[in-house]
Amino acid sequence: MTISSDPKQVTQICFDRINIPNQNKLSVARENGAYEFLPTVLNDFDSAKIINEVKTSGIRGRGGAGFPTGLKWSFVPRNTGKPTYLLCNADEGEPGTFKDRDIMRFDPHLLIEGMIMAGFALDVRDAYIYIRGEFLHEANVLNEAIAEAYAANLLGENILGSGYSMNLTVHRGAGAYVCGEETALIESLEGKPGRPRFKPPFPAVEGFYRCPTVVNNVETLATVPAILKFGGEWHASIGIPNNTGCKIFSVSGHVNKPGNYEVPMGTSLKTLIEDYCGGLQHGSVPKVIIPGGSSTPWLTAEHYDTPLTYDDLMKAGSFLGSGAIIVMDETADLVALTRRLAHFYAHESCGQCTPCREGTGWLERVMKRVEGGKGCAGDVTVLKDASEHMAGRTICALAEGAAAPVLSLLKHFPEDVQTRLAESSK
Amino acid sequence: MTQLFINDQEVDVTPGTSILEACRQNDVDVPYFCYHPELSVAANCRMCLVEVEGWGKPAASCCTPVSEGMKVKTQSETLAKDREMMMEYLLIHHPLDCPVCDQGGSCKLQDYTVEHGASKGRYSEPKRAVINYELGPFVNTCMTRCIHCTRCVRFADEVAGTGDIGVLNRSDHMTIAGIVEGALSSELSGNLPDICPVGALLDKPSHDVSRPWEMTSHSSTCIQCPNGCDISIESRGDQVMRIVPVDGSPEPWICDRGRYVYDAFRSDNRILSPMVRQDGALQSVDWSDAFDRTIDLLKDKKVGILFSSQWSVEGHVAISLMRDALFPDAKVAFDLHRRDMRPFAFEEGLAMTTSQIEAADQVVILGSDLRQRLPLLMQRLRKRGRAGKPVSRIGAMNYRTNMEIGRDALIRPRDWHGVIARAMEQVSELGKTAAGFDAWLGAVSDRHEAGKILADALISDSCALLVGEEIRSHEDAASLIHGVDLLMRACGHAEAGNDGRNLIPEGVNAQVLSAVFADARVSAGDIFAAASAGELDALILIGSDPVGDGLFPSAAKAALQKVPLVQIGSISGEMADYADVQLPAAAYSEIEGTFVNMEGRVRVATNPIKSLGQERPLWKVMMRLIQVMGAEVPVVSLDELRSAVCQHLSALSDAWCVSNQDSALIAPNRNRDAAALPKARTDSFELDVVSRYSMYREGMWARASALLTEAGELNALDDVLVHPDTLAAKGLSAGELVVKSFLGEQCFNIGVREDVTPGVLFIAKRGVAGDLSDVTAASIDGGAV
Repeated sequence: MTISSDPKQVTQICFDRINIPNQNKLSVARENGAYEFLPTVLNDFDSAKIINEVKTSGIRGRGGAGFPTGLKWSFVPRNTGKPTYLLCNADEGEPGTFKDRDIMRFDPHLLIEGMIMAGFALDVRDAYIYIRGEFLHEANVLNEAIAEAYAANLLGENILGSGYSMNLTVHRGAGAYVCGEETALIESLEGKPGRPRFKPPFPAVEGFYRCPTVVNNVETLATVPAILKFGGEWHASIGIPNNTGCKIFSVSGHVNKPGNYEVPMGTSLKTLIEDYCGGLQHGSVPKVIIPGGSSTPWLTAEHYDTPLTYDDLMKAGSFLGSGAIIVMDETADLVALTRRLAHFYAHESCGQCTPCREGTGWLERVMKRVEGGKGCAGDVTVLKDASEHMAGRTICALAEGAAAPVLSLLKHFPEDVQTRLAESSK
Repeated sequence: MTQLFINDQEVDVTPGTSILEACRQNDVDVPYFCYHPELSVAANCRMCLVEVEGWGKPAASCCTPVSEGMKVKTQSETLAKDREMMMEYLLIHHPLDCPVCDQGGSCKLQDYTVEHGASKGRYSEPKRAVINYELGPFVNTCMTRCIHCTRCVRFADEVAGTGDIGVLNRSDHMTIAGIVEGALSSELSGNLPDICPVGALLDKPSHDVSRPWEMTSHSSTCIQCPNGCDISIESRGDQVMRIVPVDGSPEPWICDRGRYVYDAFRSDNRILSPMVRQDGALQSVDWSDAFDRTIDLLKDKKVGILFSSQWSVEGHVAISLMRDALFPDAKVAFDLHRRDMRPFAFEEGLAMTTSQIEAADQVVILGSDLRQRLPLLMQRLRKRGRAGKPVSRIGAMNYRTNMEIGRDALIRPRDWHGVIARAMEQVSELGKTAAGFDAWLGAVSDRHEAGKILADALISDSCALLVGEEIRSHEDAASLIHGVDLLMRACGHAEAGNDGRNLIPEGVNAQVLSAVFADARVSAGDIFAAASAGELDALILIGSDPVGDGLFPSAAKAALQKVPLVQIGSISGEMADYADVQLPAAAYSEIEGTFVNMEGRVRVATNPIKSLGQERPLWKVMMRLIQVMGAEVPVVSLDELRSAVCQHLSALSDAWCVSNQDSALIAPNRNRDAAALPKARTDSFELDVVSRYSMYREGMWARASALLTEAGELNALDDVLVHPDTLAAKGLSAGELVVKSFLGEQCFNIGVREDVTPGVLFIAKRGVAGDLSDVTAASIDGGAV
């Protein structure tokens, strides 16, 4: 690893080796430090020490919810007589997000190593990577990497003679966005339709096959090797307190150089867009920034300077989410954007909760009408009522995500809607 | 206990209770669609939202457990708006066809729309239409009305155990559908329309027939199986329109047999006026003409009396009074399903309630097709299975149960002695024994490995044995039951309070019947034999059809051809071919009467429907018969009759007085002295004959019902079934084969099925193969003659 042990020098963790050619091959990965620290962890660390380091590191889940990982691990009950499962959430379905994909296709061994360490800490015998169905290439790369790891005794029975054994299996999803929600993912992995479960019970207590289960995002697990190698304190010193470490942002939309950028937490939105992404295509300030994937509420130019942290984005009225930043400049048709997102959520609602099942379709149809110039004055109230009473009234957060674009549009750009409605009445 | 506040009211509930259940227990109204007390929680309708102080958003009360000090609000302005919106979401695609929907008037969606909905919906986009699917003869689907609460899916998974209804697609394309074409092979299917909160699943037979508000409800007891469920008979005028379960009764469901028998009440098969055979055909006459003919046939004659257990206790006692007054020497038979009339160590009836059986450590089913015979007890066992408790079974066929049977053994009826002996040896080795073991063991030379299943279960703290028809109708039943009784004594399952000896009766009132008729009782076969031998002048048949039911169809036919028949009952059926006189007795919908179920639970029906024709309650018919025959009438009112009942059964007088009838259970008889020892078989037929009980065909009522008959045809098996090995051993294959038995040689269409015990001839279909029911042993000799 070329990561510096001085936290002040660190700019990248997961993407540290991302540009090395053939890094997905075990031999190349090992030359570059993969699995170097694994024997130390397996032989000299114990579960409590690992969980403690991860707690100290302050890392928060990189999948969207931002729940402290160490805390999540410490919730897993021990000695229940049931197996504990580790599931890697590689469903990466959130529109705008494409970070985990790069880790898996370019540096799969980083993820595998992280999972072995996490598995060891949680006493896991069987771990699964639930990968988005569309990621066929990534699944193939992962499977090859896993096969190589098995051959090198990095997986399977008695890993590197440590006495610890773990199996790792890749399971491909079938294209449902909602399966990125951890309990829907569990249902799907069990072979059932992917529909979220209500909580409690939480997966830590009753998850996969009703056994204790930890579900972590790819990026979270890929950070674990560095945390254990350099220590929790080291990670905690990167970024800013309560928002530690580096974070990969998938930037898309009207920027000149869209792509994945890993930066220390706390870097401002403006810095990321202007210094890393080559600035906007048109104009000097963006019209809309969706900071954490399409499900998060929109920010406008007034929040262009916001530091990219969980806390600051929440203060600004949105979420860091999965770190998928969608940037829209002044050329964007926000009514069309909202209609397109409404279509997505209407298509992806799992259908079990009333408000989401019926509300998402309703929103899409009204937005379609408004966009097509057939709106009417009452539509604004309908859109507002139908979205507000979906959010927070359902088993999972999909409805909240579906409501966010519509509510953001009505809140920040009522004039865009009014213009469309005015055109309709002509 | 967890203390919380609901609308500022302090309440205590069991820890782990959901907020919704806490509200229901304390009579706080919270609207819901998907929640059902008998089903798992789905939490998908989102109608039951409540506010919890300190929580940022409303909580679904059905899936949120209570916590100490929680402050819950079920009414607020925001909740009112939330509920209004939920209704608006639900009604987006719901058709506005309430005026033509059967659910209208008893529809949750309609009620909540009035209570919580806005006066006008704002949805102006295209509506969804959904394709219906086929759910068998009893359930009508109109899926456009579905609100996706998934109650039906959970019912199929959890209660029926068929798991054949599922959810397809997602978002607002989501539909509920049968997973396979013609799904729903459940004997409980009629409950689906009941649990559907809207008009998506409706009762098919009564579809488009009547509206809920036209119906009057009459609480009664179902007599179609010994479980004796509480039912509500719904009538329009004097017509029975529907039968539905009763809220808050021990069983929340009823089976299809008990429900769809309703069309029999208004079928042509009812006897609605006195009939007399004239010129070869039955003609309607008035009561006095019918009695004149009856007097001719019965006065100073030797008669045999055969009746069904389906009458009320009052009816049964009236039969007994009639016998005492007119034919004091006559023998009676009420059991068409018992060959061995020696006293049983434990007589018919359950020692435990069904909920005690559900909770026992071990349950062993000995020779019973419970799913057909007692669908609701089977449902209890399924519930028990889901809770991880074992159910084992020994029997002649791998009867379908829709549940995981832990340990299962297929045996022939002749193996029962060996099974019990093997179990006796095993428990003896553990030092558990009872006086009589040695004598019993000494009389049996065989040992059958299936006994291990029985013995292993007996070692537990509480063990419920469900002894079924294969043992009850065995030729050597008394010795088998004595053997089982010894086992239960040895293992401590025969004491008061921990008595696991349950002998499943054939019908209701079993405990009462043996007390009322005691010594006068003989086997139905004996009566037929006496009639055929010319020892009887006439037969009186009260609500019984020994040709269509039971174990003596051939003997019954022979007897009925020999002597005249006076038929008294509600259903005419096949007995009309033999009857010289028919006297109409009121159906169970039309009487005030008392019924005792297999658990000993007493139910009194008090608000009968008006008689459809000239039929009168059985006790009145009996008293009138006594009068016209010139004897002194013993009772002239129901009260007097009930006093007479109390002479036989003091326990009933309590039941008629106390309000909580569930607490007064009538225990089945125990005969401590019964000590029948095993008998060796004398015949040389190599196959054992077992009759199948079909819930759709057994009993006069079921056969009078076109609905049940249709379902019976759908569920029919081959006429006669054997294990493929049974035929292979003889070099034969399935088809028309000759069966040899005491009845001579007969030709049957024989099918094969792996789940019949090798060596058993399984009679699956009545009518065609029913005649074989008379025999217990037979052999297959070759191709068609």
